[in-house]
Amino acid sequence: MIALTSPYLWYTTRATGMVAMVLFTIVVALGTLVANRIGGTIIGRFEINELHRSMSIVAIVFLAIHIATTVLDSYVPTGVISIFVPMTSIYKRVPVGVGAVALDLILAVWISSLLKVRIANTTWRFIHWFSWLGFATSIVHAFLTGTDSRKSWGLVLVVACSSVVFVAALWRYLGRPARAAGRTALSPLAAPPAPPSGGRTTATRLGSVPPPPPAAPRPSTGPFPRGPQRPSNKKGRR
Amino acid sequence: MGIRRRSGGFVLSVNPILCDGFGHCAELAPDLVHLDEWGYPIITTIPVPLSNLAALESARYAVRGCPRQALRIDRISDPS
Ligand code: HEM
Ligand code: SF4
Repeated sequence: MIALTSPYLWYTTRATGMVAMVLFTIVVALGTLVANRIGGTIIGRFEINELHRSMSIVAIVFLAIHIATTVLDSYVPTGVISIFVPMTSIYKRVPVGVGAVALDLILAVWISSLLKVRIANTTWRFIHWFSWLGFATSIVHAFLTGTDSRKSWGLVLVVACSSVVFVAALWRYLGRPARAAGRTALSPLAAPPAPPSGGRTTATRLGSVPPPPPAAPRPSTGPFPRGPQRPSNKKGRR
Repeated sequence: MGIRRRSGGFVLSVNPILCDGFGHCAELAPDLVHLDEWGYPIITTIPVPLSNLAALESARYAVRGCPRQALRIDRISDPS
């Protein structure tokens, strides 16, 4: 490999590492918004989804630069293998190794998403869970490895990013909407579905178990904001 | 091939097993999709003419935007 020792490589490693960390924080937060079905009024849900997808590409570009400059910088002996295989770097063996674990997890998430149409949805979802682990390990990596991340603004940034994702994880767990069948059963409107109106199909009727009758009619507080144009298939109920 | 007249129509169809009620489709193709009170899509099954490019484009956006890959565009050929 060409011997490159410019300190600018090191500066680039540090800067892009920080930027990648901030970007991945945003990506994880946006992903949580999608998963918890936020949006639909001020900003569309599909827009949050698109932001999540496109921001992840930007984050990966910064991550790629972060890693490329690390390896190119021959001032510190890391090596190409240590990008992917943990504990193979001579320089900062454990901290860089944690970074490699984070990268492997993030790569799995990324590649599985590229193959999303081809693989089973459950497989994709299982792998997408790695993004939490990947983020957590990358934060550990950032804290252990970083030149800037242990003092003043760098530390503030690391703490801020991990707090945001910690809150997102809590909220993802506590605030998650129930899955299809459960949500249907929990719906305050869980009366037997209206008879099929001509020329329309509903996924609910075809895809979930029939909900039990509700104890008492309650006002709708479902996770779904009522859209402006709602189908007029409520005839004959209530 | 080459330039061919677009005849026939399409139907946007949902795979109810995959659909998790994210509702992105209703935002992306509001003319084709409505949501029921559980947030699941109700899609018109009346074929839309392929010449309706705006509708076709919105259907493609919906297919792409669905987080569960639950949507599909089915071509319906002209009964001629
Ligand atoms: C997977 C996601 C990764 C993220 C989010 C990430 C992020 C970070 C952050 C925030 C820093 C701290 C910068 C500083 O405080 O100066 C850092 C430092 C560092 N990272 Fe990563 N990193 C990742 C993967 C990797 C990988 C795979 C490698 C190994 C090739 C690596 C090598 C390094 C090195 C050598 C440093 C220390 C730079 C210095 O000495 O100051 N990183 N990283
Ligand atoms: S976008 Fe996909 S998952 Fe969401 S409601 Fe429409 S079909 Fe179902």
